[in-house]
Amino acid sequence: MASKRLRSYLRTIGQVFVLQFKQLAIDGFIIFIVLVQPLLIAIMGLWMMRERQGNYAIFIVVGSGMTGLWSSLLYITGSNINVERWLGTLEMLVGTPTPLAVTVIGKTLSNVVMSLSSMILGYVLAALIFRFPLTLAHPLLFVVSLICSVAAFATFGLVIAPFFAINRQLQGWVNALEFPMYILAGFMFPIALLPGWTTPISYALAPYWAARALHATSSGNVPLSDVFLSWGMMLLFSVIYLLLSGWLFRVMVHKARVDATLSLQ
Amino acid sequence: MSVIEVRDLRRVFRTTVGVIRRKTKEIVAVDGISFDIEEGGLFGLLGPNGAGKTTTVKMLTTLLIPTSGTARILDHDVVKEAAAIRPHIGFIFGGERGLYWRLSAIDNLRYFANLYMVDPGVTRQRIPYLLELVGLADRGDEKVEGYSRGMKQRLHIARALLHDPQVLFLDEPTMGLDPVGARELRGVIRDLLAERKTILLTTHYMFEADELCQRVAVINRGKIVALDTPDGLKQHVQDLSVVELEVIGITGDRVEQLRRLPFVDTVSVEPYEQKQKLSIHSNSGSTSVPQILNILEGLRVDKVTSREPTLEDAYVRLVGGEV
Repeated sequence: MASKRLRSYLRTIGQVFVLQFKQLAIDGFIIFIVLVQPLLIAIMGLWMMRERQGNYAIFIVVGSGMTGLWSSLLYITGSNINVERWLGTLEMLVGTPTPLAVTVIGKTLSNVVMSLSSMILGYVLAALIFRFPLTLAHPLLFVVSLICSVAAFATFGLVIAPFFAINRQLQGWVNALEFPMYILAGFMFPIALLPGWTTPISYALAPYWAARALHATSSGNVPLSDVFLSWGMMLLFSVIYLLLSGWLFRVMVHKARVDATLSLQ
Repeated sequence: MSVIEVRDLRRVFRTTVGVIRRKTKEIVAVDGISFDIEEGGLFGLLGPNGAGKTTTVKMLTTLLIPTSGTARILDHDVVKEAAAIRPHIGFIFGGERGLYWRLSAIDNLRYFANLYMVDPGVTRQRIPYLLELVGLADRGDEKVEGYSRGMKQRLHIARALLHDPQVLFLDEPTMGLDPVGARELRGVIRDLLAERKTILLTTHYMFEADELCQRVAVINRGKIVALDTPDGLKQHVQDLSVVELEVIGITGDRVEQLRRLPFVDTVSVEPYEQKQKLSIHSNSGSTSVPQILNILEGLRVDKVTSREPTLEDAYVRLVGGEV
């Protein structure tokens, strides 16, 4: 019975992943935040760094890709449940035996994978237009870091999704939540440049460890033990976020059933 | 054994009004209703708009938590054991929403089949069968956005039957269907009854309740005002006869004058093409017609008929003339 349930959940995740990917790929706003916005950030960064010596280009390419990843995750995850509410499908989803979190996992994974295209585009842009030497110091470790990052971002998205569902006004704060993560997670510059009191906050954010691992494996400036530490932290946070999100989804669905907010009134 | 047991079910909605001096307003949507539905029974819930029908269905389908009272489906509590209930119930709400319009009907059904944990092998057989059943077999691969209202409603029915549920909640299922489609759907409901499904149906159409339901509860302002078989409900108006008139340009004053006639029980007015259709329930049959026509003097009266009371008349009497 449990294995049948798990197989069904995995099938649902796979199906939602494909359907969501198809819908995102034709959404103009998503194309802007996944492709155009990181591109602008990358152009700005690369322009500023063009006279500098050292391997800054790869740092900027990876960092700008991560800004696209975070922005799309924040925007799409925030709107996912509200879109279901507007369509009138949220009640249908909650009324089925499959937990709502399972469908949101499929959607969030799709968002994260889609957003990785920001990084690829930034890479191609820097290589072709600015003629920077873009070599990954540890390609294999970079790929593993990327996989861990997908898990870290996706589970982080699962934690924030219920908050957007409980409080519809939070959707209006998406832009305000965008930049603090760029800074606190060290997407574009190291967190060592920030005041000391912000460091514990960065450490509690899985995207920070993702940025640290991706920057380290692409530029090769740090010992491998640091990369392994980042992987471990990402996996640890992914598990914590997964458990936390399971609880948050139960609370959110219960509250929506009490407040009658599963459908538009 | 009762498949559905409802005891003193109540649901209050709280809304806030005002911007600076915000006040909380309470609306009692369902006010202490109780009923049972036996296995294989078709129970009708009738009432005007805002009577509490949909709120009741949402509580029974685990989508809304009651303010007080209890409801059990297949011996599971709708609040504490929602997860145990969901695999065994199917529901549809009237209207076009609740579907993914950018997907085809087949993709919609495949998706919901997964959510209901239907085995993929079963899904492959069940989707063509259900599309055939609801008359969408030749349009299944088209996007739902191109569907008419009636087609979307039929797709909802197919969705609700995907996992072959034991209990069905049909909230105004024929709303938006053309007469032929509505008749076909009533045929589907009869087939489901033959399969011993337990069904709760809400509808505005009295003939539908009369034709299908074994028992009917009339709900008004959140309370059940009558609960009986359709024939039993008709007994409520056994003493009455109904005079129907088609008039043009009747005013509120004249309707009030009709209501004040000593032998008149209720008067309802419905728009009918360019005219108004007056239904006057009285205990004096066709002998009351001259007095009625006196009040309507000067207005064009096209047709006057007298007939025996129907379930609709019983309903009108029970909800106090609101239609």
